[in-house]
Amino acid sequence: MLEKMIIGRFIPGTSIVHRMDPRSKLLFVFLFVVAVFLANNVVSYAILLGFTAFAIALARIRPYFLINGLKPVIFLIIFTLLLHIFFTREGPVIFEWKFIKIYEEGLRMGIFISIRFLVLVLITTVLTLTTSPISITDGLETLLNPFKKLKLPVHELALMMSISLRFIPTLMDETDKILKAQLARGSDLSTGSIKERVQAVIPLLVPLFVSAFKRAEDLAIAMEVRGYRGGEGRTRFRQLSWHMRDTAVLITFVLLVGVLLWVRK
Amino acid sequence: MKAKEIVLCALFAALMGVGANIAPLLTIGGVPVTLQLLFAILAGGLLGSRLGAMSMFAYLFIGLAGAPIFAQFKGGLGSFISPTFGYIISFIFVAYLVGKLFECKQSWFSYAGAGFLAIAVNYIIGTNYMYFAYVYWVEAPAGFSYVLAWSWMVAYLPLDIGVTILSIILIPRLQKAIKFKPLSKRLT
Repeated sequence: MLEKMIIGRFIPGTSIVHRMDPRSKLLFVFLFVVAVFLANNVVSYAILLGFTAFAIALARIRPYFLINGLKPVIFLIIFTLLLHIFFTREGPVIFEWKFIKIYEEGLRMGIFISIRFLVLVLITTVLTLTTSPISITDGLETLLNPFKKLKLPVHELALMMSISLRFIPTLMDETDKILKAQLARGSDLSTGSIKERVQAVIPLLVPLFVSAFKRAEDLAIAMEVRGYRGGEGRTRFRQLSWHMRDTAVLITFVLLVGVLLWVRK
Repeated sequence: MKAKEIVLCALFAALMGVGANIAPLLTIGGVPVTLQLLFAILAGGLLGSRLGAMSMFAYLFIGLAGAPIFAQFKGGLGSFISPTFGYIISFIFVAYLVGKLFECKQSWFSYAGAGFLAIAVNYIIGTNYMYFAYVYWVEAPAGFSYVLAWSWMVAYLPLDIGVTILSIILIPRLQKAIKFKPLSKRLT
């Protein structure tokens, strides 16, 4: 279980994208995702693609990791392309063979929307490849700060995320151990009727929960003993710092939107 | 929020990540089973409405932040593009509603109600998200109808019912095993 988790995630590096403040990266990606929907003709999609390629080049990511990031959505992209090619019936017919008819509009829409997905996935993958989950959590906490006024427990949420990130590998490991222990005792998860298999899950989950709750108890006591009292007036171990390059990213975004609005029909 | 509450939510979010990926070990009829719905119901049942929803919220954010804890070790900010992302959003509501029902009354009747409610909420939010994802992002051609989206999902229904029954059976057992009542009743 653990081995599978590592592939395709954050890769430490020293490129300019790696060194950017997580706040500016998050803000940029968030706005970019909205801006992608502005594109509606060949030029605007070309600009988006070019821009994404530029971002990838800046981040100096090895293609292998990028392709790995694409894997989960490759099915969706191909599906979209085929869906449009075969089922959108507008414009002149450009290809006909027996019962298959391909219309110009279908091909055009299919390609455009696949590019839209590609761009969306690539840019978000660049973010997750160049920013560790912990710094995303830190960035998120400061970006969500205004929501504190609405009584949203932002600090608590961020802390929860950090604790959780630390415990995911531990719990995965534990699940593996419990599973092996139960298999050694003769529990059988892969054969039998559905009822039997569902019943076989119970001895897997009960020890898992017991140990997780025990860990929670220990950790909570440790926190309280050290005087944890919530977010008010807390100083931080990891400080975020906003540089010129972060401002530059946001300016680039404004320019990008300007160009997109200009070339769009 | 107390330290204990924060930690419990965090651990539950991590457990959810495990539950989503137990799948390779458990395949029933070739369909990899994710136990996300089960864990969401357990979150509501064991932590209560507020903390349960909070932990599911944390789960969603951790996944978006890039930890591979969604089903099939997916994760990252791009996940929301996937048409099935609505199911992950629905877990917040599942946990909240199940928790609320359990706080009101604890009987087999309310357990059954909670299970039914969980599946309903899960499907309504999940399928609607999927439908709108296909209509607005994929810009699916006219042939893709609302009914088609639903009929697509019905295939998973028997499995989800099984998982829900399991979770309802598990809640009292787990409560006993961890000697844990909803926090509102225990902590002063």
